[in-house]
Amino acid sequence: MAVLETRGISVRFGGLTANDDVSIDIEGGAITGLIGPNGAGKTTLFNVMTGLQKPTNGGVFFDGQDITGISPSRRAQRGLGRTFQRLELFLSLSVRDNIRAAGDVYNANHRGNRVKVNAVTDQVLGLTGLEDIADQDVADIPTGRARVVEVARALVGQPRVLLLDEPASGQTEHETEVFTDLLKRLVAEGLTICLVEHDLPLVMAVCSRIHVLDFGVLLASGTPAEIQANQQVIDAYIGTAEATK
Amino acid sequence: MTEFLTFTLAGLVLGAVYGIAASGLVLTYNTSGIFNFAHGAEAMFGAFVYWQVHVSWGLPTWLALIVVIGIFAPLMGGALYFVIMRGLRNTAEVTKIVVTVAVLLGSVALSQWIWDPLTPRSIDLFFGPTKKVEIFGAFLSYHDIITLFVAVLIIVGIWLLFYKTMVGVAMRGVVDDPALLQLNGHDPQRTSALSWILGAMLAVIAGVLITPISGGSLDANALTLLVIDTFAAAMFGRLRSIPRTFVGAIVLGLASNYVVGYFPSDWSWTPNFRLSLSMIVLFVVLIVVPSGRLTASATRTRERYRVPTLRMALIGAVALIVTVVLIRQLMVVEDITQLALGMTFAVMALSLTLLTGYAGQPNLGVVSFGAVATVLVFHNGLTGYRVSDTMTWWGLLIAVAITAVVGALVALPALRLQGLYLALATIAFGVFISRMVLADIGPHKLFGMKFSLFTQGSLTIPALKVGPLDLRDPTTFLMSVTVVFAVLGVALIALRNSGYGRRLAAMKDSPVALSMLGQNLIGLKLGVFALSAAIAGLGGILMSTALGTVNVGNFDILLSLSLVMLTVSAGIGYVTGALAGGVLAGVGFAVLVGTFNNLGTSNPGSASTYSALASFITVLPAVIGITIGRSPSGFLHELFEGYRRLLNAKPVLIGGALVEALMYVLALTDTLDNWWFGITTFALLFLLPVFGQVFMPAAMRAPHESVAEPDPIWEDVGITTPYTLDLRTELDRRLGLPAPATELATRRPSAVAAGSRGV
Repeated sequence: MAVLETRGISVRFGGLTANDDVSIDIEGGAITGLIGPNGAGKTTLFNVMTGLQKPTNGGVFFDGQDITGISPSRRAQRGLGRTFQRLELFLSLSVRDNIRAAGDVYNANHRGNRVKVNAVTDQVLGLTGLEDIADQDVADIPTGRARVVEVARALVGQPRVLLLDEPASGQTEHETEVFTDLLKRLVAEGLTICLVEHDLPLVMAVCSRIHVLDFGVLLASGTPAEIQANQQVIDAYIGTAEATK
Repeated sequence: MTEFLTFTLAGLVLGAVYGIAASGLVLTYNTSGIFNFAHGAEAMFGAFVYWQVHVSWGLPTWLALIVVIGIFAPLMGGALYFVIMRGLRNTAEVTKIVVTVAVLLGSVALSQWIWDPLTPRSIDLFFGPTKKVEIFGAFLSYHDIITLFVAVLIIVGIWLLFYKTMVGVAMRGVVDDPALLQLNGHDPQRTSALSWILGAMLAVIAGVLITPISGGSLDANALTLLVIDTFAAAMFGRLRSIPRTFVGAIVLGLASNYVVGYFPSDWSWTPNFRLSLSMIVLFVVLIVVPSGRLTASATRTRERYRVPTLRMALIGAVALIVTVVLIRQLMVVEDITQLALGMTFAVMALSLTLLTGYAGQPNLGVVSFGAVATVLVFHNGLTGYRVSDTMTWWGLLIAVAITAVVGALVALPALRLQGLYLALATIAFGVFISRMVLADIGPHKLFGMKFSLFTQGSLTIPALKVGPLDLRDPTTFLMSVTVVFAVLGVALIALRNSGYGRRLAAMKDSPVALSMLGQNLIGLKLGVFALSAAIAGLGGILMSTALGTVNVGNFDILLSLSLVMLTVSAGIGYVTGALAGGVLAGVGFAVLVGTFNNLGTSNPGSASTYSALASFITVLPAVIGITIGRSPSGFLHELFEGYRRLLNAKPVLIGGALVEALMYVLALTDTLDNWWFGITTFALLFLLPVFGQVFMPAAMRAPHESVAEPDPIWEDVGITTPYTLDLRTELDRRLGLPAPATELATRRPSAVAAGSRGV
């Protein structure tokens, strides 16, 4: 069943419609892909789901409950984690302290049920394979690994749903392979993931369902095989002779 | 009816001037991304230059206006941009704020140097006070009509510029994406420079127009602070919209005049209320302005601070206390009191280390929180009578606690907006305290109680006495304040190393990412602001105790501004930055100025040289502040880096320590004058890393450090920065790509060599 759902989301910035009546669902315990050309409204939809962007119309539902009106931090506390397309790391801190900060937030929100920040941090560093650069300044590490730090940081609070915004961009081929393994392991442990990604082979390999956005409109939803066969999707990506709008 | 019309017309005219001033602010902010706190100082300078040209040199009005608005203002705006503001790219918002604050302070000091404030000067209404027209019994002077006309002209002009010209479109785009603008063939530098020039012209026009309306006499401080009255209008325009800004300005102008006209004149608060009205309006606007969206923001700024360990903090605290004890041995009583005063400022500056250095939130009214605590402790925390009265510890604690609550209340409306709004709110709060609370000197009757907040314009604050600890003794007081600073400093460093401190640092770096981890940002900001207000309150009470008797001048907003500026110049990320900034702001420069003035009096022959030096030193802090753009982490950061390297050059370090010890002994035995001891100590402190570089260059270079170039601005690579092989290699490394570029670099010369050998 759908853990996270958008119903009829529209976002308009003045004359520009970034999302137009978009309804998607994200199945629990699986990876859902969200793809589309640049400017299709994927990040806007992420922002709506996480509460950074108020939708003009429509609602967001988490476990069947309407969360459209609640703040980003409240949503995060309920178990919604995310990473950012343009990296949002704590640039004055080390890799380790970036992750510890997430543990500190968790403890501040769960006064009666604290975790041992250092232990959790070590565990997450091990899980994500970041031990070798743990004590470097996060500002000095390459983009591909910085993306993994964002994922690691988001994992500390034990989210139920993780929204990943282009996590593989800037990663080398090898890093992407390692990263794909990590995603699979996380899902096997019960995490729900929604993935915005331009690396289509990656998306096709890990996603059980895919939603395609184009010019803010939901173009298609289905399994990877269905999406690959969908003529509209092919047109949107490659372009058609008369598609000159 | 006539009365109403009179007030309305006066309100419209005042609103028009406010609008002209505020539109300059908004214009510059939108095209350069820098909110110009020195806008009022520009207006003030323009008015003084106009006086110089028109009244002193006797040029006709029209020619004087051309000189001031057409030549002086563009030069001033252009110089500000090219000399100072251009260097502020990739710095934190706080750094930008502080640099324009430094320009403000520098302008005030400079104008008082050029135009002796003791000589009265004034400028007249255009066409004089007699030329006016009558409208249904109310009068409008020619000057008023010109003002209204100019305001309309400016609104239309800015609209035409922004929407009908290419350069205007570019100006609107430059803040959002300078690189994109450049790719489209515009020069963002030229656009920004133009906005600073236009901003300066608008400021000068406002200055020349408003001075005669508000009485005509020229007062550097008053004119400079006038711009704070227009903040509310700019904020009503959400710092973006010129028409909305003008609407806000007109409302403000009308409201000020209606307060004068219709508030009960026997109500003792009315005059102060009118002066504080724009501050009150500002807070109302803050509450109703819709919150901004939380957006992606993490960019790498040039500020860098190393976080000391708790062990280092403890060592530092002990070293500080020992140093103060040693210095104390050299001093007479007056000096001890001076140094203690400086230390109380350092305690206030600690509130900035926490708030701004750790959490990235500005506060431009620190000293005013000290004023709040002082008033509270005066009314509720004293015991005894007259000569024997003392402060009680519980009175002190209650005052500090209430100040924390006041801090939270002040910050609350601004916290859901960007940091700049908090800067505006706190500066407005500072002016509000000065104009409303500290100006409340006459008694009121309320609920049958007769009282005044700031009785007779000055309060006497006795020292704290708890058991055997009696702070009335100067040495005890000095040492107590030093210990308070040391304990608070260690506590802050411990805090920074805790989970709470990491959350603060994370909020400073990327609020959006922190909120997506589940952190309620408003709660975190509110807590840290209240805590820092409490520290400021404690420092303020200690300052008042050090001074003995305080008046409104001791809590001037300019004092807060110079405290912030000097603390940032020293290094706001460090507890030692608070120490240096506080002592410099509190007594450092005052002592230097006083010394030069004394030298001038005792050597009449070279009195003019000494007084020029003294004047120069009043400008000096601002000069230091202006250079922050070059080393945004502060001069202490540079000094620390020097000493870190010096650890490898032990002989130089030991030699320096021996020289210092020798000088101390000489000073103790009065062989060496204290003044010379001070100068040589500071010279040695700053020059020792240089000596290390000269005598032991090899040891000074740390093994793991290559002689790296400073980071280029990556967005500019390939646009204005040439795209070199080195940069490409670095980009590849950052992107985690394999590095063919380096192979290429090493292979190419050998291939060439092989080729030539082959032939």
